[in-house]
Amino acid sequence: MDTSNTPPATATPPVEDQRVWKAGRLEPMPIRKLPDAPPSVHLLGPTVFLVALGVGMGESYMWPRLVLLFGPEIRWLFLIGVTLQAVVMLEMARYAMATGESIFSGAARVFKPLMWFFFVVAVAVYIWPGHLSAGAAAFEEITGIPWMVTAIAGLILVGVVFTLAKVIYNLLENVLSLLIGALVLGTAVVAAMVGSWSDVVTTITGMFSFGYLPPQAMSAAWFPVIVGACAFAGPSGMQQMWYTLHLRDSGAGMGAHQPQIRGLRHAGEEEERPARGFMFDTSDPAEMAKWKGWRRWVTFDALLLFWGITMLVTISFTVIAQAAVRIDPGVRQVIQGDDREVALTAMSNAVSSAGSSVLGVVFLGFIALIGLNATLGLFDSFSRGQADMTFHFIPGAKKLGMSKLYAIFLWGVILFGILILLFGPADGPSGILDTLAFLSTFAMGAYCVTLLLVNNRMLPKPIRPRWWSNVIIGFGAVFYLGMLFYSLFAYGVVVG
Amino acid sequence: MERRHSFELALPGASIGAVAGAMAGGLTLFAGAPTGLAAQAALALAAPLALFGGLFGVLVGHGVLRPGTFGPAGLYWMAAFPLSRLLQESVAGVGMNDGVLPFLAYQAMVGLGFAIGFVWLHERFMPYWLSHRAAVNPLAAELLAVYVRYATTLRAGKKGSRR
Repeated sequence: MDTSNTPPATATPPVEDQRVWKAGRLEPMPIRKLPDAPPSVHLLGPTVFLVALGVGMGESYMWPRLVLLFGPEIRWLFLIGVTLQAVVMLEMARYAMATGESIFSGAARVFKPLMWFFFVVAVAVYIWPGHLSAGAAAFEEITGIPWMVTAIAGLILVGVVFTLAKVIYNLLENVLSLLIGALVLGTAVVAAMVGSWSDVVTTITGMFSFGYLPPQAMSAAWFPVIVGACAFAGPSGMQQMWYTLHLRDSGAGMGAHQPQIRGLRHAGEEEERPARGFMFDTSDPAEMAKWKGWRRWVTFDALLLFWGITMLVTISFTVIAQAAVRIDPGVRQVIQGDDREVALTAMSNAVSSAGSSVLGVVFLGFIALIGLNATLGLFDSFSRGQADMTFHFIPGAKKLGMSKLYAIFLWGVILFGILILLFGPADGPSGILDTLAFLSTFAMGAYCVTLLLVNNRMLPKPIRPRWWSNVIIGFGAVFYLGMLFYSLFAYGVVVG
Repeated sequence: MERRHSFELALPGASIGAVAGAMAGGLTLFAGAPTGLAAQAALALAAPLALFGGLFGVLVGHGVLRPGTFGPAGLYWMAAFPLSRLLQESVAGVGMNDGVLPFLAYQAMVGLGFAIGFVWLHERFMPYWLSHRAAVNPLAAELLAVYVRYATTLRAGKKGSRR
């Protein structure tokens, strides 16, 4: 490997490896030992964050809606979207596990303005509290408590919990795991009760109707909606980039050499944080064997947990939506409209009238649960990402420490969210909505390009991606950016 | 005594199965139907799911299934979930429109999804439960050691150099 070797010190105690890996213009990474990979293919992992963030409105609303409008054949785009995201996840993990750095630091090693671009996009796209509305509105349907009250109470609760937590990662992993476990069990059970073999056959065979696009889909009204749904198949916007921070904090791969972020109340106990990541000796076969173990671990996470759960939830919700239309054909008209809350309520009413009032409530309960998962994950991830970039790249920020920076961003976005919920447009000013939607999808194309640059230029040759992986990520860039710009130029509309 | 030790290992899985079954049973509440019928539907699914959930824990405890691995758990629930649903439909169902075979095939597919949620939760609850029972239950202590080995390996690197 291309390392600069400094002669080892002659002292008798065990000497730290003095070799470094030079990547880009930033500080070189010292060579350290790669920890052993988990002994078995184990279920506990940071993928829980990606699943929590990824399983959202795309899976529970946008895709079932498209299936009702254009038929199950439209789902081939979903298959491509989610599979693409699984490969993106594996490639994000490659850099994070090999270096213990976030993908943002990787981007800065390639070209610093690239990282600042993502910093600005995150602020522009994710400070608006609009994402709270769907879950809180579903909760209002069940309990009658006004959604604004739930949303504000939820915001404050998230802030307080993350402030008091000793180690935020551990707390959040536990909470999200329980919520997602309940969601997966519940959706499976609901689908088992309302669906049928023919529903699931059409849903699954539809995934292989590659190239199917009905004429009405290629219109100014619907093509942007399809682009939006493709961007929301699995994690959207910058969520995949944040996953690298969770990998690091979970101690995966070289992330083991980095301390965890603590809640503000325990910020004083934070260990000293290194200014850069680490690299392992890729010329050592024993280290490479451990690396293969880590890759197996994350591949299992990507395929079963991420791909599997995302598919399961979407198929289940699609089956529920199909059942809803069968029960009440009027639902199809409502779903065609643009009002998400009305459509979700109609679906809930339809399944209720199938014979079980409880079923409707459970359906809305899942929507609320998905909203809660997404909110918890989003606030934590946003703060984690911005704190990471600030800590490493804004002069003087290191004095504050990562945990305090995290708290500043967390409370900043919470207070701003409360103010906007009370006095402003929750999704953001209407004049910039198109820009925000554009940025969110553009960021996905941009991170594909960033991944190609970071993994192929900043990592030692033996652990760089294979050619086919590069081709898929390159296709991802073309897929997201191509659809985005086609929609913009052909129909003059950004994303629906 | 051996039987009691095994039974203790069954508790987390049985609880998850029972809660999932009760939740599902609740869904079969017919609007305006007598509570007795609804309870029967709930019980008809909760009981077999709890039974299979508990058996899963016992099999893990006796080393037949490896903790934390998905493959065997997926196959297990692909068989156990359809059987549980079949039992529920026979006792308190509204009939299978598609016929038995398509019904079972569909339920087996959903069972695979159910397995993901089940194993996910089982992996969360089992270590906590084992840590409480390890002192008095050698089977629990043995299984806890497997979890501890895994956790130790994962955390070991955390003590590495941070300079």
